[in-house]
Amino acid sequence: MVGVIHRLHRLQARLVTIRNGPGAAVLPKDISRIHLEFAAKIDGGHMGPKKFWREALPRLKYWNPAVPMIVNRTTNQEGPATLTVYFRDAASTTEPPPMPSSSFSGHSKAPPPAEGERTVKIDMKNRRSEAILLEFMTNTKAQQIIPTPQEEAQMRDILELKERGEIDRERVRKDLEAERKEKAMIAQAMSEAAAMKAAQ
Amino acid sequence: MASTSQCLASLVARLSLRAPARPLAATTIPKFLLPSVATSSVRYATNTALRKRPAKKKKAYKTFRSYDLSVMDQVSLCDAMRYIRAFEVGRPPTSIKYEVAVKLKSTKNGPVIRNRIRLPFPVKTDTRVGVICPENSPLALEAQQLGAVAVGEESLFEQIRQGHFPFNKLICHTSSEAALKKANLGKLLGPKGMMPSAKTKTLTSDVKATMHELIGADDFRERDGVVRLAVGQLGFTPQMLADNLKTFMDQVKADMNEIDDNYSKSLDEVVLSSTNGPGFSLNGSFKPTDESLKVEDLQSVM
Repeated sequence: MVGVIHRLHRLQARLVTIRNGPGAAVLPKDISRIHLEFAAKIDGGHMGPKKFWREALPRLKYWNPAVPMIVNRTTNQEGPATLTVYFRDAASTTEPPPMPSSSFSGHSKAPPPAEGERTVKIDMKNRRSEAILLEFMTNTKAQQIIPTPQEEAQMRDILELKERGEIDRERVRKDLEAERKEKAMIAQAMSEAAAMKAAQ
Repeated sequence: MASTSQCLASLVARLSLRAPARPLAATTIPKFLLPSVATSSVRYATNTALRKRPAKKKKAYKTFRSYDLSVMDQVSLCDAMRYIRAFEVGRPPTSIKYEVAVKLKSTKNGPVIRNRIRLPFPVKTDTRVGVICPENSPLALEAQQLGAVAVGEESLFEQIRQGHFPFNKLICHTSSEAALKKANLGKLLGPKGMMPSAKTKTLTSDVKATMHELIGADDFRERDGVVRLAVGQLGFTPQMLADNLKTFMDQVKADMNEIDDNYSKSLDEVVLSSTNGPGFSLNGSFKPTDESLKVEDLQSVM
């Protein structure tokens, strides 16, 4: 197994990026579920939705673990790319119907809103993920997470470690190259010396 | 004209013929500088330095390396699940698996842990079993009723020879052992890990029990001091995952105790990971540390 320190540094870097950044926001209580539908490949304007899913959605899911976030990827590249947000009235007591789980083969279509629920649809096709996120944030009135000073310090440390790693890697590479060059030269000289001795 | 490498070569060749590089100590050092006592038996470093020392041997470790875990941020099961569910959001929950790696403190040689386990909540659901037993015997009928996809002796061997494998697990009844040996299928079945043998408990006298164990059962083995197994699907609730994990850990501990006393094995670290997610070192507790997070929050549809 890989050493503890190496694993720890890599893990911390991944965790700090999932807690902060675009999409790190707490959703208001009235949002009951989120559904995304877009195609499996990026052509036909499905790049933005894919990026939104890969970059913003994990952060949203981290800060809102109880909210189901379902992704339905279809095989139809010409099809729509829609983000559906389900709002639920605080007064309604009925349990929302079960949501289908995420699918990569287009099997989990967005269910119609249940009783006491309303939906907001955001068209994601041919748009950048930042634009989708901005519209999502304004529509949902989600509260952006601001990193604490400790988190900021941690992020700086991680960056610094990365930069230092680059420098060290370069240094080690140079040393190793010089060592190899010297070895090759000596080996060649040795073989030539042996040849000269044999010729005498 | 001589190239630089040729010059170097002649230099090296000459070097070996030269007289010792360092002159004798007695000729260069004035007498008054030498210690007054036992002048005749003075030993100089030169003598030892010129002698060829054997290359320093690298220390060979007999155990796998284990690390100081006090620096590692160890988390509870629910905390790890929260992160993993965030990393895996939007992926099909049945194909994404929770995986666990159990690191052992263990010697590099000696026996390894290897067994099969039936988890309370099966992780894989695509096991197809083939049974080698006498054709049209009551045993064959029973195996078919239990859900075996291929049953028989010579007919099954013929299928295997033709490269047709309708099964991904193969068991053999002891009464057909001789026929299996005669059929010479080791070359075909061996690389796929499907050759029935007593070691893997696939050569059995009780087909029913073995099939029951095989369907929904997973093999695990220790490699380089680590036992790895998929313990859950992404859609599992924390309680389901905890049950599976506990069953697995109990099994590993039981297997460790069974091992010969000459080879000690003990638990070192348990790491929970997922198909695409990072690995979290677990601290053995279940409840989330964040007050705002409840266990029920981690049960929503993925």
